[in-house]
Amino acid sequence: MREAARAYGQAFREARTLLAYTLLVSLTLFILAPFAMIALRSVGRGWFGKRWLPPELTLEWYRWAVEVGNIPEVLKNTVIIGGLAVLISTAIGLTAGWAFGRCRLPGKELLMALLLLPLMIPPITYALGVARLFYALHLVDTHVGVALAHVAVCAPYAIMVLSASIEGLDERVLEAASVCGAGPGRRFLHVVLPLLLPGIVASAIFTFTHSYNEFTLTLLTYGPHTVTLPVRTYLAVGDGYWEITSAMAVLMVIPSLLILAVVQRRARPERLVGGFKGA
Amino acid sequence: MGLAGGSVAGRGPAAGGRVSGGGTRADARLGGLLLVPALVAFGALFCYPALLTVVLSFRPEGAESGWTLASYAAFLGDPDARRVILLTFGLALAATLASVLLSVPLALVLRRRLPGHRFFRTVVLVPLVVPGLIGALGLLIFWGPRGWFNLALTQAVPILTRPLNVDYTIPGLVLFYVWLYFPYTCVTTLAAVESLDPAIEEAAQVAGAGPWRCLRHVLLPLASPGILAGSVLTFMAAFGAFSVPLVAGGDHRPLAVEIYKQIVVPIPPHWSAASAIAVVMATVQVAFLAVYLRLGRRRGGSR
Repeated sequence: MREAARAYGQAFREARTLLAYTLLVSLTLFILAPFAMIALRSVGRGWFGKRWLPPELTLEWYRWAVEVGNIPEVLKNTVIIGGLAVLISTAIGLTAGWAFGRCRLPGKELLMALLLLPLMIPPITYALGVARLFYALHLVDTHVGVALAHVAVCAPYAIMVLSASIEGLDERVLEAASVCGAGPGRRFLHVVLPLLLPGIVASAIFTFTHSYNEFTLTLLTYGPHTVTLPVRTYLAVGDGYWEITSAMAVLMVIPSLLILAVVQRRARPERLVGGFKGA
Repeated sequence: MGLAGGSVAGRGPAAGGRVSGGGTRADARLGGLLLVPALVAFGALFCYPALLTVVLSFRPEGAESGWTLASYAAFLGDPDARRVILLTFGLALAATLASVLLSVPLALVLRRRLPGHRFFRTVVLVPLVVPGLIGALGLLIFWGPRGWFNLALTQAVPILTRPLNVDYTIPGLVLFYVWLYFPYTCVTTLAAVESLDPAIEEAAQVAGAGPWRCLRHVLLPLASPGILAGSVLTFMAAFGAFSVPLVAGGDHRPLAVEIYKQIVVPIPPHWSAASAIAVVMATVQVAFLAVYLRLGRRRGGSR
């Protein structure tokens, strides 16, 4: 009798594990199969009709993507804009982060929530105003202009991440540096900055990813000289040559996946989701 | 670049001022000073554009001055517009419900830390970091008439002679939205489920509750604030979705796409009409945000 019960329990557990893995594997297929198809489409030739795999392999679409799609130029634009957005956002994040993390401010929570507001509202609702303002200031189709538009959504991330790491600084270390005779400049350069480096790196990764993927604000402020990868992909999807579009997508998705590897290792994934401190 | 320069200059006193532990008032003044770059950026890149949009929405179409409610009246009175609003809500709601149905079992499974769970945890995050447009492209190919889904379907069900239409349909859009936005629900649900004290579950089992009753009466009620907060995030993201319905929506245009179409399709662009729709959309979004914050506060308070 007990034997039977144990066998039943064993079978139940095994069935449960099997069910769990079925769920996990189908989810993985659901999420990753589209990428597999993009990758195959980008190297396949003559893939028509009912075939699981392309009959012929080719790198021609990549050549087209580079030559016709102008990917090197587009990549350069994307990286310049991303770099500028990271620089500006980090500067904003460090100053605001110090204010939030170390200073006693009245209405701190409210201010913080206010500054994070651009993350919580779809960019399209204020992108119209950004476009009108940038047209008036002749910032449209300049790297700085597009980067500034990105700062609207990147800076909140920097503020969020850097406030947390500045708040976590150990007061005693700073005092020790002060007691040992380090002036404000040296204290900042040799003590504060190295301690904050992981936070700054995390913030730079988040802001760069955001700028790299940013589409709405770019679409309303870009011009022929500032086409970024998402905009290029959008234009290519509209053109309908999906083989070339797939090749572009592969070139574009590699950095995102590298970033994911870093994020998974270094930062808490919940931060990607956003949300407020304590919420 | 002026912003960056200003904030670097403001950096010096930051390192020096605080360490010596000044009084509260000097502290607040320093804090205020340090907030200047953030506030300038916030004002110039968010507040002013938002205000400009509101002002534009009250201007007569194409005019630089004057006030009118015509754009709102035109949008809210148009039966097409009502369809757009309904579609936006419907898509977001359906995607949110499907995300919850997917996330709860997934969180319960991932919580068991089966071998390989780290890999699956990373997989869940993929849609969050990949550009939405690439996701949309892959989904269009995968679910398309020549994609693997239809290939598998026509082989599994021989009666089906023609591929099933998924791309550019409303159920297809819901599916794409789920792919894109369920991680929000999943991550928060997982965090909520994993932060529960195992002792609670053990107590339920000791008290004689089977796995199902334990789930229904103990785990889910305790995790529900997290699930709810994550669902609001998914709903907000789906409500504001732009790039995906732009390329994968076909004739189905939610609010965000409708705004964009107003300034690219007609010549000259309908700025006032687009702004009016943007204001309506932002208002709804802020209302959701208020709900989300309230949920967050309640959750914070109960801990």
